Amino acid sequence: MNDGFCGRKPLVAIRSVTKEYKLGETTVRALRGVDLEIHEGEFAAIWGPSGSGKTSLLNLIGLIDSPSSGRVVVAGRDTATVSDDALAEMRNRFVGFVFQTFNLISVLTALENVQLPLQIRGVTARKARSAAAELLEQVGLASLAGARPDQMSGGQRQRVAIARALVTSPAIVLADEPTANLDSETGQQIVDLMRELNRNRRVTFVFATHDPKLLDGVRRHICLADGTITEDQSSVREGLTYVPA
Amino acid sequence: MYLLKMAARNIRKNFRRSLFTILAMGLGFASICIFSGYIHNVYTGLSEQAVHGEGLGHLTLVKKGYFENSSLDAKKYLLTKDELARIGPILSADSGVTLWTPRLAVEGLISNGRNSMIFMGEGIVPEQEDILRAQYRPDRGGMLDPAKPTAIVVSSDLARLLGLKTGANTVVFTTTFDGEANALDADIGSIYNTGIAATNDKTILIPLAFTRRLLDTDGADRLRILLRNIEDTDEARTRLATKLSRIGIPIELRTWKQLSTFYVQVKDLFDMIFIFIFSIVAVIVVMSITNTMSMTVIERTREIGTLRALGMKRRQTVVLFSLEAMVLAAAGCAAGCAVTLAVCGVVSLLGITYVPPNTSDHVPLLVDFVFGWVVVVFFSLLLLAAGAAYIPSAGASRTRIVDALGHV
Repeated sequence: MNDGFCGRKPLVAIRSVTKEYKLGETTVRALRGVDLEIHEGEFAAIWGPSGSGKTSLLNLIGLIDSPSSGRVVVAGRDTATVSDDALAEMRNRFVGFVFQTFNLISVLTALENVQLPLQIRGVTARKARSAAAELLEQVGLASLAGARPDQMSGGQRQRVAIARALVTSPAIVLADEPTANLDSETGQQIVDLMRELNRNRRVTFVFATHDPKLLDGVRRHICLADGTITEDQSSVREGLTYVPA
Repeated sequence: MYLLKMAARNIRKNFRRSLFTILAMGLGFASICIFSGYIHNVYTGLSEQAVHGEGLGHLTLVKKGYFENSSLDAKKYLLTKDELARIGPILSADSGVTLWTPRLAVEGLISNGRNSMIFMGEGIVPEQEDILRAQYRPDRGGMLDPAKPTAIVVSSDLARLLGLKTGANTVVFTTTFDGEANALDADIGSIYNTGIAATNDKTILIPLAFTRRLLDTDGADRLRILLRNIEDTDEARTRLATKLSRIGIPIELRTWKQLSTFYVQVKDLFDMIFIFIFSIVAVIVVMSITNTMSMTVIERTREIGTLRALGMKRRQTVVLFSLEAMVLAAAGCAAGCAVTLAVCGVVSLLGITYVPPNTSDHVPLLVDFVFGWVVVVFFSLLLLAAGAAYIPSAGASRTRIVDALGHV
């Protein structure tokens, strides 16, 4: 556990969480009693080998899956007591997602993809468009606002996905292997972009990766192995992304 | 609005599949609208035939019990001259009534001097017949000449059987209401086609005054009432019955639909066929949309997972796919509407005629473009399409988000 945040209410609190999957007759234990807190403004990486439980942990934090046991508290609310509709609203308001495979809507342009979370929330098209345009500019893709996903490179698509994740000004952005489908240079650019946005917009970023090269400059490393956190440490080598109270 | 945009773009993306669905919907829509347009034309023709051709008017006023018992005691159910004088002003004062005219049924034998045949006659007021007929099928003839008080009109099959021609002399035999035999000479004023095979060999039209002389009465057994609008028939019936109840004469009013059993039978038959056709089309539409949307939903499971992860609620994803189905249906209906309009126009231009059952002459084959029906069918198919999309999309919306995101 990261002691630097003692006394402050965490954005996300995971308590004794387990997650099991049924694969035919076999039960796979993806998470085995995980405890974790994520605080506002953090820039954290969950890393570990494939099958260590990174995605399962991110899914629970992102409210797109529920634990087999234990508690997941997001923004002070125990998610076990929240209805499906309320969970959808929480995802829209508190969480931004960046997927490994980008998951942009193929029939929408870059600008429309970024607008989408706001429009799901019910924000008017004009306001959503204006906010989306601003975000696209911040990720350096203003010139590709009218392009469809199939007209963009992988790096560009992931930038659009990051803009989409940020457009609702969420409390936390979760990125699951955001660089896995990108070449190493582009992957590093994406991590740099996330770090820059964390610094400038004070958005909490948590990303999962199996690539230790991407951990440079990441303040908090949460290491997972076989469904348990084996290491959770902060470094201050560069880019102070969190200032304790 | 963004859901509609996504729906429209996804339809365009899957152009070929969408096109087949639209064509299936369009053909279904057109078949319903063309058939409903045809039966609308038939209903209109039959109602005009009943009201004006048969001279039923919109309403018929009789003494209470006339339809059930007058064949046994016709005199008892006659409207006397005094009663007519009391009823007439009430009818004339009603703003919805354009004409009321007395009628008197007569039955007997008509002879050419050598042979006789049974006739069913109708005593009518020649001057009012023009209005009642409202120029309905003037080609059929059958108008009495007010200047010729003994001239009668004979149905064409009856005239043919007796060899009667216009201008020929004939003798009409009957019995008066008191049971005495009576015969009067008459002239054949004209020959006409009743339009109904069952009556075209026995019907004659006689001036009312001449009929009264034959039956030795000054009354009438029925009053035909013509209204300004056929749609007001039921309302006018209630209104007039209320007004007439105050004068203390036991009367009843029947509508043209109640008296025209042929119209009712044909309408019931066509309505049944329409329901049958509509049901078949509905099944085709539902299956076509369900098939299309099922494939779409499977292909876009990952998209559904993404949308749900971004905060879209389950019902919003259902709305998204229902909208897509409705856009498909709307496009199909628009195509079907164009086909319907084209068929209406072409059929009208071709000038096809046919002899319907129970009629004695040709009628034109026409298909009406019934806007009200088109709108009803349009929205019905839209709702059906939305319902058909509900099943696969509701199922997909219940898929766990992580499973949907991992769908390949």
